[in-house]
Amino acid sequence: MTDNSDLSPSPADPVEDLGEPAEHLRGAPDDAHVLAKGHLHPSILLLRLIDALRQVAFPVLLVFFDPMFLVIALGLFLLQMTYAVVRYLTLEYTLTHEELRIRVGLLHRQERRIPLDRIQDLGFESTILRRALGLVVILVETASGRGVEAKLDALSRADAEHLREVLLTARPRSSNPAAAATASGDDDAPAPTPERRDEPEIEWVVHRSSTRELLVRGATDMRLSAFAVTGYAAYELANQLGFVTQIAGIAATFRDWLGSLPPVVVFAVLAGILFVVMALGIITSTLGNLVQFHDFQIALRGDVLQRRYGLLTTRQKTLPRARVQRVTIEQSWLRRLLGFAVVKADSAGGSRTDGQDTTAGWDVVVPLTRATTAQALLPALLPGIEHTRFVWHRGSSKLVIRTTVQGCLLAGIAIAATWWRLESTALVALLIIPIWTALGVLVWRNLGWASGEEFFALQHGIIGKNFACVPTKKVQAVVVRQGIVGQLLGLADLTVYVAGGSPTCIPDLTIRDARKLCGDLSRRAAIAAARDW
Amino acid sequence: MTTLESPRPPQRLAARVVPYWILGDGMTSIVLTGLAWFVGRPWLAESWEHWSPQLEHLLLGLCIGALCLAFFIPPLNYARWRYGFVDDLLLMRYGILFVEERAVPVRRMQHVDLVRGPIERLFGLATLVVFTAGNEGSAFRVPGLPVGEARELRDRIVQMRGDGQL
Repeated sequence: MTDNSDLSPSPADPVEDLGEPAEHLRGAPDDAHVLAKGHLHPSILLLRLIDALRQVAFPVLLVFFDPMFLVIALGLFLLQMTYAVVRYLTLEYTLTHEELRIRVGLLHRQERRIPLDRIQDLGFESTILRRALGLVVILVETASGRGVEAKLDALSRADAEHLREVLLTARPRSSNPAAAATASGDDDAPAPTPERRDEPEIEWVVHRSSTRELLVRGATDMRLSAFAVTGYAAYELANQLGFVTQIAGIAATFRDWLGSLPPVVVFAVLAGILFVVMALGIITSTLGNLVQFHDFQIALRGDVLQRRYGLLTTRQKTLPRARVQRVTIEQSWLRRLLGFAVVKADSAGGSRTDGQDTTAGWDVVVPLTRATTAQALLPALLPGIEHTRFVWHRGSSKLVIRTTVQGCLLAGIAIAATWWRLESTALVALLIIPIWTALGVLVWRNLGWASGEEFFALQHGIIGKNFACVPTKKVQAVVVRQGIVGQLLGLADLTVYVAGGSPTCIPDLTIRDARKLCGDLSRRAAIAAARDW
Repeated sequence: MTTLESPRPPQRLAARVVPYWILGDGMTSIVLTGLAWFVGRPWLAESWEHWSPQLEHLLLGLCIGALCLAFFIPPLNYARWRYGFVDDLLLMRYGILFVEERAVPVRRMQHVDLVRGPIERLFGLATLVVFTAGNEGSAFRVPGLPVGEARELRDRIVQMRGDGQL
């Protein structure tokens, strides 16, 4: 979550000058359709105080060197607190039938208006401290691609629940009949909703993660690189503190000691160290996953998906089903081997590439489940997909020729570049060619696409397997690209763009297939767009 | 709706886009080659001990090649460029080494820009840029349209636009 979308007054923000402060604090009386209105919770001042103290702690420590730092610390502290108090006193949010309005600022007044139909997702987030005080941070996401558009830090839980309830009910039910039918949310908070409701909506729990699933997720999380980064950071720290020479000394003694042992023992010791490092990596990622996705639950209420998860920071994310732009089922090779998969959904709020996790996990719909279960969950995310009959096609087998040609080129370049130094040893680079051919075969075997009337699906991977499904009515643009080798072989890549920019790319179709698919998809998208309109 | 060939974009750019591109590209390559030849060459000859006449010939060849490319690429590019507004779709196809074909449902458009640089104005040309909600910036960009045609196309696109639903 980026903080720059916070409503802090900065010159870059769009600013609208308001009238008298008195009128502004009172709230505009012009709008008769105010559904909800409120201020931040007073306890936020306590949190800000703690924050400010924490930030001031370092300069205060430096007072031992120079008393000037006390003045700096005090100044910082006062500045922070003034800012917090002003923000608390002036911030006011108003929800009407059309928009969410957030006003803030005393000297530098600012008002942000977000039309309700532009709001993609309304998330709750709560750290331990906030939870202890009964507070919730509200994150408003729009399709601007910047992620969080506005942030209300923090409201009381009851206020937050009320706001979301009212917002979900008030969302215009204009164009999308599926969304319009049952857009009203219903929650356990006893919030009065101004709109008439036919009957209370039933909550259907789509999936609840078991501890076992989360454990497997952690253990198969291949982010050992994160561990390496931590190790490097620790080394840097040691370097700065001047421990490196000592460590080097220890390493040297260790090496001498190893040298005095028989090779079998040396091997065992090295394997042991490797094992310990890997085990530590797995343990940290397992713990991380258990904490992040603790008690993960996704439920469908009406047409709105709700996710709740987290141990330390609890998150509650709402995602209207009609806003789902793409659903992916991702299996890294290890998870594929074990038959597990991750399900993710992209809304228009942000972008990512396949196989990549966003930090807050906003895109994760199911942290990990059996691959078969994952497939069975699709209709809950993409209504109508159960009626779609997918006819799967393969990519062109010329794909293997393309990768081989590329391998030859690479090998040629590598040999030419290293010949003057390595001479005939440089021919080792020829090994690149069979490797690239093998990669091509693997990619081709895993590649498949299917184009139904309402959905478009793609399956791809090298040793892992990824499945992506895009509703054709969400397609924003279709692009066919041909590189140099592609033009010679008559191959083309097809990329399907949806809002929020998570492109779905099918590599190496024959140009005929690509053109036909491009035409079909764009025409269906145009028809759906016309129907929406 | 099942087995239709992808629609071909029918229209070509204005022919005067070729001199415009030659002028634009030519100026850049003249500046760059000038820098390489009159600044880079003496500097290299002075400070690098491996500098040899062969390398100087190579540099000369590169400079001449770059200047020639600035003259040969625009006509080729023009020959390949096609765009069109067929039914509800904005279509384009362009590129020499890397060919790209694009289809954008016009109702998905979020906003349209008409851009005119100083040299473009000199030639009476305009660039039309159509944005959709896809994250990769402009979904559709046609350079070298005659101004009148660009305005007309923009107005047609704006009339056709949808409600911006995602």
